[in-house]
Amino acid sequence: MKKKTLALVLTLAMAGSLAACGSNGGDATSNNDKSTSSNTSKSTSEEKDDKKSGGVSLNVTTTFGGNDTNQKNYQDAIAAWQDETSNIVNDSSATSDETFKARVAADFEVGSEPDVLFYFNGMDSNSFVEAGKVISVDEIRKEYPDYASNMNDDLLGASPVDGKNYSVPVNGYWEGMFVNKAVLEAAKVEIPDANTTWDEFMDICQKIKDAGYTPVAASLAQIPHYWFEFTIYNQLSPTTHNVLPKSVDDEHGKAWVAGIEDIKDMYDKGFFPENTLSGTDDETFQSFIDGKAAFLVDGSWKLGGIEEATDDIDNFTVTYVPAKGERKSTDIIGGLSSGYYITKKAWDDPEKREAAVNFVEYMTSNEMVTKFAQTSATALKDGADVDESTLSSLGKDGLAMIKGITGISGAVQDQIPTECRVPVFDGMPNLVTGKVQIPDAVTEVLTMIENYTPSEAAE
Amino acid sequence: MSSNIYKNKKPLFFFLIPAFLFMLIFLYYPFIQNIFNSFQEIRGLGTAPMGWKDPWYSNFKTMWEDENMRIALKNTLIMILVTIVGQVGIALFLAILVDNVKHGSKFFRVVFFFPIVVSATALGLLFNLIFLYDKGMINQLLEVLGSKSLTDWKDETHAFMTMMIPVTWQYVGFYFIILVTGLNNISDELYEAAAIDGATTLQKVRFITIPLVHNVICTCVILAVTGALKVFDLPWVMFPKGMPFGQTWLTGTYMYYQVFNATDVDYSSAIAVLIVVLGIVLSKVVNKIFKEKDY
Amino acid sequence: MKKKKFQPGQIGAFALLSLWALTTIYPIFWVVLNSIKNRKIIVSDSFSLPIGEKFSMANYQLAFERLDIFGAYRNSLIISLSVAVVVILLAGMASYALVRYTFRGRSLLNSLVIAGMMFPVFATIIPVFQMMSKWGIVNTPDIWKSLLATALPQIAGNMSFAIVVLSGYIKGLPVELEEAAYMEGCNAFQIFSKVVMPLSKPSFATVGIFSFLWSYNDLFTQSFMLRGNQYGITRLLNELTSREGTNYGLMAAAVTLVVIPILIVYIFLQKYIIKGMTAGAVKG
Repeated sequence: MKKKTLALVLTLAMAGSLAACGSNGGDATSNNDKSTSSNTSKSTSEEKDDKKSGGVSLNVTTTFGGNDTNQKNYQDAIAAWQDETSNIVNDSSATSDETFKARVAADFEVGSEPDVLFYFNGMDSNSFVEAGKVISVDEIRKEYPDYASNMNDDLLGASPVDGKNYSVPVNGYWEGMFVNKAVLEAAKVEIPDANTTWDEFMDICQKIKDAGYTPVAASLAQIPHYWFEFTIYNQLSPTTHNVLPKSVDDEHGKAWVAGIEDIKDMYDKGFFPENTLSGTDDETFQSFIDGKAAFLVDGSWKLGGIEEATDDIDNFTVTYVPAKGERKSTDIIGGLSSGYYITKKAWDDPEKREAAVNFVEYMTSNEMVTKFAQTSATALKDGADVDESTLSSLGKDGLAMIKGITGISGAVQDQIPTECRVPVFDGMPNLVTGKVQIPDAVTEVLTMIENYTPSEAAE
Repeated sequence: MSSNIYKNKKPLFFFLIPAFLFMLIFLYYPFIQNIFNSFQEIRGLGTAPMGWKDPWYSNFKTMWEDENMRIALKNTLIMILVTIVGQVGIALFLAILVDNVKHGSKFFRVVFFFPIVVSATALGLLFNLIFLYDKGMINQLLEVLGSKSLTDWKDETHAFMTMMIPVTWQYVGFYFIILVTGLNNISDELYEAAAIDGATTLQKVRFITIPLVHNVICTCVILAVTGALKVFDLPWVMFPKGMPFGQTWLTGTYMYYQVFNATDVDYSSAIAVLIVVLGIVLSKVVNKIFKEKDY
Repeated sequence: MKKKKFQPGQIGAFALLSLWALTTIYPIFWVVLNSIKNRKIIVSDSFSLPIGEKFSMANYQLAFERLDIFGAYRNSLIISLSVAVVVILLAGMASYALVRYTFRGRSLLNSLVIAGMMFPVFATIIPVFQMMSKWGIVNTPDIWKSLLATALPQIAGNMSFAIVVLSGYIKGLPVELEEAAYMEGCNAFQIFSKVVMPLSKPSFATVGIFSFLWSYNDLFTQSFMLRGNQYGITRLLNELTSREGTNYGLMAAAVTLVVIPILIVYIFLQKYIIKGMTAGAVKG
């Protein structure tokens, strides 16, 4: 349940990898077993052994754990890499949740961080980037000029701390509008497409409501942030969306207020479920699946959730969120928000340096990235070449949507420290019901961000 | 009541040291760090403090002014009363009944334990489906009974009740088991003697059972008070983020929220300090009330 | 005592107890039912019986196929049983001392015990983790060290609760028995092991049950201390079910798998909650 509020789980749930997951998971685990046990015997004798290549044991932590759709891909990949290099991966991947994040932070804190880490490149990485515990891509390239050369540097996902690249991404996410086709048919309206304007969209919603359905499935009490993103995006453009307002009166401040006002407007028109202020996201999601609500704005990770929840995947499709103003509806929210880091610990260890670089290069090769990414965005210069036959109809629709995009911007919420988001996210029910004035809430967020002073520890 | 055996204090240390050493290392020492944390600036669980707050007590000042905290405290106090009366009361009632039935006491002891073993996530899902707006078990029943409109059991007027019922229900079994253990200590002969004197069942309960399990009841009440202060899992699954409108915050859920959702770790440390202080004070009060009571 | 054959009170009591029992049995029944149901209809159709098309063992299949469930059970049992045993023993000794001895600082210790019950685990885990990292027992591939690292804070975490419950119980034991033993020449340790411990068996059993239960269900400590493929059962099932788009079918199966061992332990320990132990003892 926590996961949904996070909205940072960067995995794509695709049918192809889903199906593959079930059958071979056992193999991967036993492989993993082997590596751990052989590592136990080795680590003692190995300490200052001067083997040049092979026989290095690499501690790796990733978010490809548990039931992640790429868990199988990942396990296969490390098994193959171990065979190829006769190095050993000591893997401690886990499902990414708040506990996992705390664990990673604590590992860095006590100096037991892994050698290679696949992790978020936004605010979550600030503490160890500031502490200088990971190596920047530029520095790695001084010695390994080809490192991440297959990637477009602008898309690597620069650190919010200093704008430098530290990580090499694999797969990204996008946000779009999922559609329950049956509801639209019953309400006799067309599926919105790239040309649907905001006003037309409002008309569609009204018709759906008049037909006795809920137009938009969303729990404004629990997960208001997808609508927060897009309604603000509608006031801006891909190049300006990611800029934080300085004050409530500047261009971006006004955009925020106007954006949230659009949410309030939709709420006032009754486009959200009747219990949008008291029901959980699970409940509203279920109403979408059950054909009581028509639209659901969510992330690419929801593909798998929908596939898992319904028997009739063909009844669902995904399309662009209708736009107004400068933003085209084909300008979407998306990005690559995690990547492989090499820690200073591994870099400074002459034995591990080579192995770590080799491992990351292996995991971020064109072929590997394509396999992991499926329909999501990648940073590959050549682009990913996905085998469509493995996808569900919804997956194909997602892929088609991605192909039509004209612009992409990261989520602006990632620019806001979590504890500063409270007034507009958790406070959304107060805003749409008018209990709190929208400009006041925006001002409060901005004040909080201002007080969230950069750390003294880094200096 | 201290008898001769316990005049010699030497064994005392042997008895106390292992347990308290464990708690010192794994609880008190970390918690002292937590107290320090509550005066510092911390960005995420596991990350190092960034320096002192300015002013250093600002978290406690925030707490004093925090509307949500006020709701949480109010709700928790109500929760404490409900747990004492509802959980311990029902548990005592059930325990006495089980003590008195001739058959099936083993069976009841086992099944009453069930709600405690099922995870909060599963129970939360079950209750969410029972109270679901469109259309959970209750709303379906109401419809059959002729209700025209759906009732939103999670809206502002119903939310608190919808939260209290499952939470109260869940932990009855916990106190039940502790009380049953206590009741086992009362010999049947006492009851027989009372029966010969012509005591009614109620009188037996009032003059034999209650006084003899007095200590255990006191234990239960203390556990109920401290438990109410920190309960979070089931309420959190059913009413994340104090929904609706922050009406359902409890001290436990609010602290959890501050750690894992708002990631305001230092503030959550301050809340933890408050919870511990409240726990100690309230259990002192409970002890006092129970000590003064004479049977 | 058992001379009256037919009492209206008995029937009333039985009826009330059965009523409550219904409410407690139903959720388990519901979980087990849904664990063998087609996972896609669990939320939309959760109160029906899994018959025909609705029936499916896929949830269990998934749970068993993916990962090493038995290994996880074994790890969890090792952790939780050790926690229960150590807690019973140490908390028993401490409660005995806190109840029977009068000494300066007793009331302070009592407050500390209460306080220990209130500390949230996420407030204490980071310093504990740092300590253990210094000791070198976390972040190692050695499963035994990791199990130890999981068990130690759990022992401390359950200690307070155990002391509170055991104290309440020991307070109610007749001190005459201990005096009698003292007269016969027993020292405090012998009194504890030969008089107090056996008499408190029911209470020890209760404390053991809950320590076991809480340790077993403590996902947070497990996810912090166990790494990679070192799984406790709760961590394993969480990894399995925690993906986006919560898989309720898998969750129901997971809950069933988690609950079974607890119930076995519980029913086993229930044997020790026997009627009238002290009563018999006083009579001699």
